[in-house]
Amino acid sequence: MPRQCPRSMSATVPPVRQDLRALYADHHSWLLGWLRRRLGNAADAADLAHDAFLRLIVRPAPDGFATAGAARAYLRAMAQGLCTDLWRRREVEQAWLESLAAQPEIYAPSPEHRALVIETLMQVGEWLGRLPQNVRTAFIHAQIHGLSTREIADHIGVSQRMVQKYLAQAMLHLALIDAGLEPSGARRPQPC
Amino acid sequence: MLTSPYPVAAEDLSVHADYDSLKEAAEWYAALQDAQASAGQRAAWQRWLDARPEHRRAWAHVETVSRRFALLRVEGEREAAEKAVQVAARRTPPRRQAAGRVLALGGAGILGWLAWRFTPLPTIVTAWRSDYATGIGEQRSIVLADNTRVWLNTRSAIDVHFTLDQRELTLKSGEILVDTGQDTHQRPFFVETRNGRLQALGTRFTVRETGNDVLLAVYDGQVRIRNLAGRDALVRAGEQTRYSADDISGTALADPAREAWSRGVILAENLSLAELIAELGRYHAGYTAVDPRVAGLRVIGRYPAHDMGRTLSMLERDLPIRAVRTLPWWITLEPR
Repeated sequence: MPRQCPRSMSATVPPVRQDLRALYADHHSWLLGWLRRRLGNAADAADLAHDAFLRLIVRPAPDGFATAGAARAYLRAMAQGLCTDLWRRREVEQAWLESLAAQPEIYAPSPEHRALVIETLMQVGEWLGRLPQNVRTAFIHAQIHGLSTREIADHIGVSQRMVQKYLAQAMLHLALIDAGLEPSGARRPQPC
Repeated sequence: MLTSPYPVAAEDLSVHADYDSLKEAAEWYAALQDAQASAGQRAAWQRWLDARPEHRRAWAHVETVSRRFALLRVEGEREAAEKAVQVAARRTPPRRQAAGRVLALGGAGILGWLAWRFTPLPTIVTAWRSDYATGIGEQRSIVLADNTRVWLNTRSAIDVHFTLDQRELTLKSGEILVDTGQDTHQRPFFVETRNGRLQALGTRFTVRETGNDVLLAVYDGQVRIRNLAGRDALVRAGEQTRYSADDISGTALADPAREAWSRGVILAENLSLAELIAELGRYHAGYTAVDPRVAGLRVIGRYPAHDMGRTLSMLERDLPIRAVRTLPWWITLEPR
């Protein structure tokens, strides 16, 4: 559902409904070049350029684009976000795989399981990112390791009462997001 | 007639959790995390839970949040999950910057979010334990070691077990389309289902677990069924049949719709509106109600499985109905 955006200058121009195919023909190779320079990797660049146009299909720009410049600015902002996401995801994936590899037992998760876990890590990380470090750590101990308040208190060196406060704070934050009473953070609606 | 992908208690949709209830639920969660929580405390929690529907709704959010961590609790991976989630949390972009980004809750994002919010627990539990699984609205194609291609339809789960002398898939839930590969070791290929075992004889076929029985449709080659009662049947290309633990029905013409989903299309060949919506419900989280006055309307056509919005506007164009969006996830189809 598009958010109500304050009308910007470009919106006063009669909106031009851009045919996606024309948009693709005009800007795809430019976007690909931009991404390639930024990522230094042709395969990733091709993937993200593809993603960017896919997102335009799923969620077209609210008023179309008044000028080619506006279209490129929009695509660039979108591609920028995709790059940041890709780098974050790689970093998280790296941390997960390195930690798995460091374990004594040989363990090879299937690619599907791996993809699901990384997806979960990204989402959960995003929600927990807004919480203070201690609160986040207490909640992760409770949720992932199933530790009791006493065990968590020993781990992070605060009182049990404090741990209980942390857990309630973290759960409230996430439950509010789940109930749609608080924005989830990075995955925000469209820019104006 | 109401069709829904899963039963929804009326109170779940009509009651919203308010801030205070959520705050209390979060406090109960923290209190019960204490290993020493007494029986008296648990009883007090139960009383709180039963006191008001808002409390139950709020507690459901607490459970949903906890469930979201399930995949991070896999034995042997917890340490890795803990480290990686800390990295992910630290790398979360600050709010302001985030607001300026274009990354909307588009496509997979919103579907994923809805899927975990509304997927009932049993489906999720099956999903973790399986080798390959899909959530609501998700489809996936995989290639196995012998070049067999398997498409998993929405909310499906399989285990793959290849040994030296056989290849075996277990269909745990949902629906798969199998295109078997040429095995260099010539091992037989089996699909284990709740009601019986299938042997593929060089072939392309779909298997769908419906709850009561299993629907098998063969598009190429042949498939032999042996159900739990030990009855055998051979289904040839272009045929389909249903079988239960103790019965195998006669074959009929294979329904092209059973193969169409692997291309993201729902084929309606004279379905009732209610049937079509039930089929769509397998791909979309949420609730679609069909007014009894229009439930029996006949529908013919091809509809995109993944684009509920488009399918609804196509239906509004083709039939004397309108789609009323009561809530983002609650749609009612009624006469125009």
